[in-house]
Amino acid sequence: MPVCSFSYQDKVLLLQHGSTELLALAQRRGAQLHKLLNGTSIFEQDLHKPHGRLHHADWLKLLQNCQQQLNSPELPFLLGSTLLNSRYISLCQSVQYAQNLRQALAQLYYFRHQLFPGIYAKVHRQQQKLVIELKPALGLMNQHSFMMTTVCALLISLLKLQPGSLAGVTIRLQQTAPGQLLQHQRYWGCDVSFNQPCDSLNLPLSLLHQQFADADPAKFRNARRTCLQLNRVLKAQRGLLENIYTLQQRALPILLTQQQVADALGISGSSLKRQLSQHQTNFAHLIDQVRRDAARKMLQQGYCSNRQLALKLGYSDEHNFRRAFKRWTGLLPSDFRNLFNFN
Amino acid sequence: MWQHHRYKILFSALLLLSGLVLAVNTGNAKPGNELDWLDVLGEGTTLLVACGWLGLIIGSRPAGRVTEWLYYGSLLLVFSYFLDLLDEFIRYPEHLRLMSWLESLPAPVGMLILTYGLVGWHREQRAINRQLRGRELYLRDHQLIDPLTQLYGMEYLQAVLQREIELHQSQHKSLSMLVLDINNFSGFNRRFGVAAGDVYLSKLSELLSNQLRHSDVVCRYAGDRFIALLPATALPQAHIMVQHLRQQLVQMAANNDEPELTIQAMAVQQGCAKMALQAANQALIQAKATSSLKLQPA
Repeated sequence: MPVCSFSYQDKVLLLQHGSTELLALAQRRGAQLHKLLNGTSIFEQDLHKPHGRLHHADWLKLLQNCQQQLNSPELPFLLGSTLLNSRYISLCQSVQYAQNLRQALAQLYYFRHQLFPGIYAKVHRQQQKLVIELKPALGLMNQHSFMMTTVCALLISLLKLQPGSLAGVTIRLQQTAPGQLLQHQRYWGCDVSFNQPCDSLNLPLSLLHQQFADADPAKFRNARRTCLQLNRVLKAQRGLLENIYTLQQRALPILLTQQQVADALGISGSSLKRQLSQHQTNFAHLIDQVRRDAARKMLQQGYCSNRQLALKLGYSDEHNFRRAFKRWTGLLPSDFRNLFNFN
Repeated sequence: MWQHHRYKILFSALLLLSGLVLAVNTGNAKPGNELDWLDVLGEGTTLLVACGWLGLIIGSRPAGRVTEWLYYGSLLLVFSYFLDLLDEFIRYPEHLRLMSWLESLPAPVGMLILTYGLVGWHREQRAINRQLRGRELYLRDHQLIDPLTQLYGMEYLQAVLQREIELHQSQHKSLSMLVLDINNFSGFNRRFGVAAGDVYLSKLSELLSNQLRHSDVVCRYAGDRFIALLPATALPQAHIMVQHLRQQLVQMAANNDEPELTIQAMAVQQGCAKMALQAANQALIQAKATSSLKLQPA
């Protein structure tokens, strides 16, 4: 059965799961509603309908309008924490009543299409740390850093609330370092590094199993039931980029061709190509990304010889792999490994 | 302004005087029953208004080319109206055309000159507007004002602080700074919602800008931290202002439960803005540590 993926024009976002909060924040900062909604197909009277929806093209336009209307660098930070505390988002409610961080994160991951379908997470362990890599499930245009900051702000707000400590938590962002680092430090209070190869949140494994103070299994179950009910209305759909990434990741020693992926997605090859260019990316780049992430993960996790790695990643020989790795990171695999073990 | 135009005024007075002398010499006074008082009233008013223009031009315009055109244009008008008025009282001999020429010719010429001056003024104003808009654009481009609190943001603070430090050091004056931090603002936001937090922030910023002096620069340094620059203020004075602010804040917080604030005054002795801001952060951390010690039950 082909994997279904949503595109810019599919209404997979709930207005109440972000847009209303964002608009309220912007309006309190003096922006005018009609200017914020300008260029989107959202009507003012739909904003407070319980299941009103919007698609990603509108959402991205909305974000762009907000930033054009106001210079408020605090917006993504506030949006993240507002979403976490929103009464209308049962997913966020449930997360707060979870038993521990592990359950909370699992819940967020499972129902991610209800909150941020535009972003997906790949999680792996690495030396006593849990690394949550955040990736765009569709081309986020120039709103990449805003979205990533929002998601990180939500997660950090959760961590601050329960378990209540940020010790050992680090955030890595792709965006270039802003002129003022203060904003990130003041709102997050943890290590943030910029210009990184991917957006990720690293947290110590020990945090995962600390009991939440507000844990309440009954309330959690209730909220989860509401989430499941919402699932009937809002089907779990993934973005195109996420689907391709997952397909290739599963297939790994074998490299998929564009046609194979198109068949798996149930669309024609030319259609896939066209859609990818809409997302401002191309097939080769996506496949390359999968291999890059896999290489980095394997090198960081344990000892693998370059030869083994090259085999696992589908390179014809060690030499090609080394060259590709140098292209991704600027380092040779051995240097990268040393760097990591040294740390 | 009037000093710049001394010669102009002298020249105009002489011109009008010579017109008067010429008129008196060439003509004879009309008998009282031939005077048309309505004409006198109309022409007199016109003359007064034109004189008013001259006064306004001299009073408001800096010396320059455009001002000259405006002035001499109006002066010719005034001269023409003046003779016009005189002609109500004085009858000239029929064969002498000079006075009627002097009466009617300067007005259109003056109008033309005045119009040319006005075009110059228009251009000048456009240039000024463009420059002003450029400045405003600079502000808008850097977007230095925080939209929520309508206070300046961090970038503006850094620029101003650097300038003030240099200025105060060269003049050997003391510069002080107030640092104000909302304790556990994220907790407040969580309990009452971000909307309530925003309302509180704008209330607080309003209070700050009302209670501090006009010369003080209040900035929203970060989400929940404000910094006020106090130019030409010594530390003891700054401490008094802190006391005053604390009292005001207690009054503001009287009706509902609002987050606590840490306020700290410090003298700016550092040589650059960055170091001063670091010192401010340090001072704040210290102040928080001591206040939390104080709060603990004995």
